[in-house]
Amino acid sequence: MRPLIDIRFDAVSKRYRVRQPIGRDGGGRYRDFWAVRDVSFDVARGETLGIIGHNGAGKSTLLKLLSRITAPTSGTITLSGRLAALIEVGSGFHPELTGRENIFLSGSLLGMKRREIASKLDRIVAFAGVGPFIDMPVKWYSSGMYIRLGFAVAAHLEADILLVDEVLAVGDAAFQLQCHERIAELRRDGTTMLFISHDLTSIARLCDRSMLMDRGRIALTGVSRDVIAEYNRIVADSQAREVADAVAVDARSLARVVDVRFLDDDGRESVVVRTGEPLRALVDVDVTLPVRDAVIEVFYYSRDGRTLHCQHSTALSGPRLDLMAGRRRIEFLCDEIGLQPGIYAIGASVRERTGSTALDWWYGVRLLNVEQGKPVRGYFYAPHEWRCADAGAAAQCRAADA
Amino acid sequence: MHAVRTVVIRPASSSWLHLGEHLGRLREYGDLLYTLSVHRVNVRYKQTALGVLWAVLQPLLMMVIFTAVFSVLARMPSDGRPYALFAYAALLPWTFFATSLSNGTNSLVAHTQLITKVYFPREILPLTYIVAGLFDFAIGFVVLLGLLAWYHVGLTAQAWNLIPIVALLAAWTLAVALFLAALQVRFRDVGVALPALVQLWMFASPVIYPLGVVPAGWRTWYLLNPMAGIVASCRSVLLQGQAPEALPLRMAVIVTVVALPLSYLFFKRAEATMADVI
Repeated sequence: MRPLIDIRFDAVSKRYRVRQPIGRDGGGRYRDFWAVRDVSFDVARGETLGIIGHNGAGKSTLLKLLSRITAPTSGTITLSGRLAALIEVGSGFHPELTGRENIFLSGSLLGMKRREIASKLDRIVAFAGVGPFIDMPVKWYSSGMYIRLGFAVAAHLEADILLVDEVLAVGDAAFQLQCHERIAELRRDGTTMLFISHDLTSIARLCDRSMLMDRGRIALTGVSRDVIAEYNRIVADSQAREVADAVAVDARSLARVVDVRFLDDDGRESVVVRTGEPLRALVDVDVTLPVRDAVIEVFYYSRDGRTLHCQHSTALSGPRLDLMAGRRRIEFLCDEIGLQPGIYAIGASVRERTGSTALDWWYGVRLLNVEQGKPVRGYFYAPHEWRCADAGAAAQCRAADA
Repeated sequence: MHAVRTVVIRPASSSWLHLGEHLGRLREYGDLLYTLSVHRVNVRYKQTALGVLWAVLQPLLMMVIFTAVFSVLARMPSDGRPYALFAYAALLPWTFFATSLSNGTNSLVAHTQLITKVYFPREILPLTYIVAGLFDFAIGFVVLLGLLAWYHVGLTAQAWNLIPIVALLAAWTLAVALFLAALQVRFRDVGVALPALVQLWMFASPVIYPLGVVPAGWRTWYLLNPMAGIVASCRSVLLQGQAPEALPLRMAVIVTVVALPLSYLFFKRAEATMADVI
């Protein structure tokens, strides 16, 4: 039996007309911009589809078309069932009205019936955590309460199809966790879902299948893990080009970092690792003239490049490193990686131990995607073992085991 | 469990074929229309000292001014009724029209945030202002009853005809508001020109003068403005205790019946890409 289809895009295109300053010849007053071009795909009932791509690849337009905020220029979209968008509608709130009144207001804006809202009111209030303030005008709410309330309503929509935009980034960590749990719950209930996000970790975890958009077209559809890997490769390539353009090659440079790559357990190249699992990082260096007592290091930055999370260095252990001319390769072996799930930007450098500046500094060409592995709380996972330590403890531990 | 419904999203169209679909969707959102309308009424007077009293004061003040200027100074004829009553009976529908039209026209632009974020049938926005206007109308009507008592003028059974006349008034106001609101999304000039338009429109309607003073030669053209028939009919049924004059009312009905569906389809066509240009 063929699966039921909940969403069908049939050759959908969306054109935006951008008004241009009128030229002297009077022509070319409009520039056409195709945000989505000839896109066709199906989403089966109960399936979770992730949509990824650069900014401007057409993801948001796709979402707007699906949620009917704007109509396609050509093609048709067929939806079976009730669609809801998990968005924060705090903008629909009226400051003079109480929290309760606003729940009804934004609930109806999202297409809920009054009866339905009334029956879920308690759950919505509890989810938002604004219990004692529910009969107070929302103009007195803190911004956090405001956002949580705006989002709580949407999280309780009863829908067959749910659209989830970046919104999971709202509120504090506890609230985000709550939202993730709610999504997992809806997913278990068989709600068809569409995720649009830059958070590849969430996409990989939540979506069965993903779609990579590029300049308004579908570049790739497939198992999330593969599509994300491809996306990371494209990002890395384009960044490599940018870096290569930006950094003038110093002719006097003795050595240059060419690439940093990561291998999984089986020795295959990978951009996805898990917290607490082994990591192998390969650094390729082109050496022009021999470098005596060299130090090679790899840095793991936050995605925006602002925070350095950790580093590998040849200076901490092992023998002295002398680099001969030619292509050299250094491998860093880490038994258990301490990075928590997230996306990290990678940097690398080569320097002389005695020198004050680096011979080469390489940054941002690669991204490393760390997924949930060992579930630990805190900023990082600290590799550790444990044992029973009191007198005769070994016997007791065994006893408890049995 | 609700029944699975299939929705097809298509490019913008102003086809008559989709009229039923539009209306069906509007009915689905009945709860939103209700909630938003209640919200309008609640919010309108929320941070004002006089509150709902403003719904009474607005037409009353106009009545006093009009009476001072047009009755005391200009000696305007008033169909044999006290001018204050004569003016008020017209100001009641007129205030509804002017207020609902301005609010309704600006409603889309005023809710840009919502329009770019959530889908709902956009006509709900102008509609809620019309419903809120009806609420004010009801309060204004109670004041009229007081005025009638004060001037010892009795209502007759003809007053029941006010109900269909108000329905016509609301339909006509909606037709104009839908058209102007959709137009304003692209051309903000509409919002700027609106106050002047409303002012002009009042002088083109028998608000300060009786319909009878319009020269016979202009009458047919004059009556193409449905507000003429509506205002005159309100006066007939409320003050004269007479059935409305047939021709003005008939003209108003015909113009409205033609204009409302056209205006609605125009609105729905504009709605499809409203979020892109607003």
